Amino acid sequence: MSEERKFICVSCPLGCGLNVTLENGEVVNVTGNTCPRGAAYAKTEVSDPRRVFASTVRVSGGKLPVCPIRSKTPAPKAKLKEIARAVAELNVKAPIKIGQVLIHNVCGTDVDIVASRDLN
Amino acid sequence: MNYDVIIIGSGVTGAGIARELSKYKLKIAVLDKASELPSGASRANSSMIHGGFDDKPGTMKAKFCVPGNKMWHSLVKELDIDFNHCGSYVCAFNDDEVKHLEKLLEQGKINGVPGIEIVSGDKMREKEPNVSKDIVAALWSPEAGIINNFEAVNALIESAKINGAELFLETLVTGLLFDEKNNIRGVTTNKGEFLAPVVINAGGTHSGEISKWAGDTSFKIIPTKGEYLLLDRTTQGFIHSFLFSCPSKAGKGITVLQTAEGNLMSGPTATEQEDPEDRATTPEGLAEVLKGARRLVPDFPVRLNITTFAGVRANTESGDFEIKALKTPRGFVNVAGIKSPGFTSSPAIAAYVADLLKEELADRITLTPNEKFIPERKGIPRFLYLNMEEREELVKKDPAYAQIVCRCETVTEGQVLEAIRRGARTITAVKMMTRAGTGRCQGGFCCPRVAEILSRELNIPLDEITRHGGESKLLVGKTKEFLLNKGAE
Amino acid sequence: MNNNIDVLIIGAGPAGVAAGIGAKKEGAERVVVLERDWDLGGILQQCIHPGFGLRTFREELTGPEYMHRFIQQAHEAGVEFRTNTMVFQIDKDTNAVWTMNKERGIECLNPKSIVLTMGCRERPAGAIRIPGTRPAGIYTAGTAQRFVNMEGYMPGKRAVILGSGDIGLIMARRMIWEGAEVEGVYEVMSWPGGLRRNIAQCLDDYGIPFHLQTTVMKIHGADRLEGVTVAKVDDKMTPIKGTERYVPCDTLLLAIGLIPENELSRMAGIDIHPVTGGPVVNDLLQTSNPAVFAAGNVVIVYDLVDNVSDEGLIAGANAAKFAAGKISPNVKRIPVKGGENVRLYSPQFVTGEADTIIYMRVTHPIEQACKVIAEPGLYTQRLRYARPGEMNEVRIKAADIQAKPDLKEITVDIQPL
Repeated sequence: MSEERKFICVSCPLGCGLNVTLENGEVVNVTGNTCPRGAAYAKTEVSDPRRVFASTVRVSGGKLPVCPIRSKTPAPKAKLKEIARAVAELNVKAPIKIGQVLIHNVCGTDVDIVASRDLN
Repeated sequence: MNYDVIIIGSGVTGAGIARELSKYKLKIAVLDKASELPSGASRANSSMIHGGFDDKPGTMKAKFCVPGNKMWHSLVKELDIDFNHCGSYVCAFNDDEVKHLEKLLEQGKINGVPGIEIVSGDKMREKEPNVSKDIVAALWSPEAGIINNFEAVNALIESAKINGAELFLETLVTGLLFDEKNNIRGVTTNKGEFLAPVVINAGGTHSGEISKWAGDTSFKIIPTKGEYLLLDRTTQGFIHSFLFSCPSKAGKGITVLQTAEGNLMSGPTATEQEDPEDRATTPEGLAEVLKGARRLVPDFPVRLNITTFAGVRANTESGDFEIKALKTPRGFVNVAGIKSPGFTSSPAIAAYVADLLKEELADRITLTPNEKFIPERKGIPRFLYLNMEEREELVKKDPAYAQIVCRCETVTEGQVLEAIRRGARTITAVKMMTRAGTGRCQGGFCCPRVAEILSRELNIPLDEITRHGGESKLLVGKTKEFLLNKGAE
Repeated sequence: MNNNIDVLIIGAGPAGVAAGIGAKKEGAERVVVLERDWDLGGILQQCIHPGFGLRTFREELTGPEYMHRFIQQAHEAGVEFRTNTMVFQIDKDTNAVWTMNKERGIECLNPKSIVLTMGCRERPAGAIRIPGTRPAGIYTAGTAQRFVNMEGYMPGKRAVILGSGDIGLIMARRMIWEGAEVEGVYEVMSWPGGLRRNIAQCLDDYGIPFHLQTTVMKIHGADRLEGVTVAKVDDKMTPIKGTERYVPCDTLLLAIGLIPENELSRMAGIDIHPVTGGPVVNDLLQTSNPAVFAAGNVVIVYDLVDNVSDEGLIAGANAAKFAAGKISPNVKRIPVKGGENVRLYSPQFVTGEADTIIYMRVTHPIEQACKVIAEPGLYTQRLRYARPGEMNEVRIKAADIQAKPDLKEITVDIQPL
């Protein structure tokens, strides 16, 4: 079974419009991309769509009441809501170092939540 | 709570009366429903101190406008209020309008307006090169000016407070109290009863309704909306004087002016409406303002617009002020229907009200001069306007003046703290008292900072801070709690 | 004269920090960056989403991560920073810079050269004159972003977003991630203001409707915002009768454009370009005042922070050269002109002293193959499309300029093929 799908590649600011051809759920052709990242993006977007999650966590004793965090690597799109709640429950003590892992393997995704700035 | 006199409303009228009466040994309560001053028509108007040629001889307006103008010229010094003594032009575009100027000139002379004269369009353009080439003549009134109306009302009420008057904000008068002889005993409010033998109704657009409670239905307030455009301060100097069109039935027509701060401004429309609280601008109104502005000033740089606003004036059917002490109930004084030239007239009205109390209500109130009356009031230092030595001195005295909170208007933390000391509790109150948030970013930069300072100084959570009291909270809760609670719902 | 500052930089955002690095690399002795906030990094500290620095670092960083790397480099290079320090005046004739700080009070600095890196600010609601009331709950997207990301507070529960600039799109997703609702994004133009990938990953991912040629007509609510009326507009941006719709919401976020922040530049008597809103500069990023340079969003609003940093490095380096007396007062000034579909561009003059990039934006989108050119015969590059939301670059080689001694003018343009 053949299927056509359209994506906007989010790998870089260009935002290429991708035309993706699938055969039995498998990507067989990608057009519209400017670089190989577009093709790779189309493949994961079909099989296992992922996004970097970025938010804040509550901080006690810091110069700011919240500290920005991110998922170190892209996390499964379907799990973002669950991750947002896990992050919301966290309360971290300052000082915090950039890159410090705040949650290991968040929601069983194998993805770490790390601080994205220093906060004293 | 017992007082000698209660003043309902702390617009320029009520605040002016409070300050005038504070020259006497009186216990004065000023009640206003708003969270900050000024809030009604005294906040949203042309901030004009009129020459006084526009009012028909024999009217109360004519009686108070010219002396009011004169009094403001000294009051602004006494009370440290920004005032731009710029003069005004009424512009005529054709012969009919020139005839109108002649009528105004005549009227002005009868009213005793000093220095007015008709000049040619060319003569006017020497001073105002950006006005329309089609203006053929203009009536020049040198004593007219533009006042910082936010500052003026706060200065009056602060001066009254310095001399013992008490101000109650967020206090909505809900009714009058009468004694067994059916004379005035006080008022009821959302905050309880306030008792006094004299109640002065300076309730602006609500003054008709309040008057009805006292049984006086002899006049009706017609709330009349006026819409305005306000431009960036980089327009300073585009025009210098206050520019009127020839008036029509609807009002004085669209004017163009430079505020006391240097912003170009235009308005107002005059739309009658039922609701005294409807201050929404409309597409039609704003279009009318722009059209009127461009008629006077063809290159009116509207792309530099920073905000639009509307005020509601307390027009009356008679077109005149309604100022009198009622025979019954005794103790009730109407100072109602105060609209243009109400701001100009207000000091003269206040003096007249004091006389009225002496002459007509001597059985209820005694006006003994207060020898300790302090006429001067110092404004919050305006960092923007100080020279470098004054700034250095200020910063040495209080380092909070070295922290800028509002970058558009160069308002410092020291000023915000001083506003809070003087009673500011909302973002708008700080704006009225310091002008933080009146600039080109309209609070985008300073609103979070002012909110933080209010929160810190008043020791209340950030999400309890309001824009202008009531339900106008800026924020709806803390981020993470919001998400977790929402999930629980 | 209480100081020996070679290069004084105003603003420690991406442009200012890079300018500091650029100035030190060029050999300036004393380079000082002034920052009004307590922290370095400028607006990027609140831009906590990823999407920064792909060109510079080959990976997508969040705003604070991007700044962290630059700030480290600046510290290593020996750049001095002064935080909580606001410049409130620059004197026209002497280039004296007046600063304030709670501890140090008022100070007057007399640097050999200045770099303006104050960034930009958001257009406020008043700029578009939306009729209606003035309740709480109307914020520029950046103000809301500060509340959420720096203060940890929610500006509202149900938001409408007017304008499709990138910050608005980013804030739509941010509000969703914090549990709020976003009713929709409304854009008065027929094309989006922000990047397409942000429409995909911030709106489409969460099913947020995106309405082109639609605008907010009216604000409702006395105390807190209660709703807005939206309506479709025609090609002249006039609302179409009968398309009005009331949308209940407690928050209106505005992402209707950014304006270079040039209060100080004006005070310093520097020529401001009427279209970019930033200082008129040559390719050395020198303003009309030879001792004053400018870089980043204070000059022209860029799409990418990488460009801002690049320009910061250039401005810093040239300011250092100026401080060392190495920039001739008689550098060439070949004016750049924009073609028909060019809305704005910067720099406005080319000296031919070094290879340079002219950044530009089209007025109307060209949704077909086109070419970006610099005449006479200086540059041609094919493009698949050109859109107002995406900046284009013209690369000019110094050698090409030097090879044309009679060159009077350069015209940059984007034309369909």
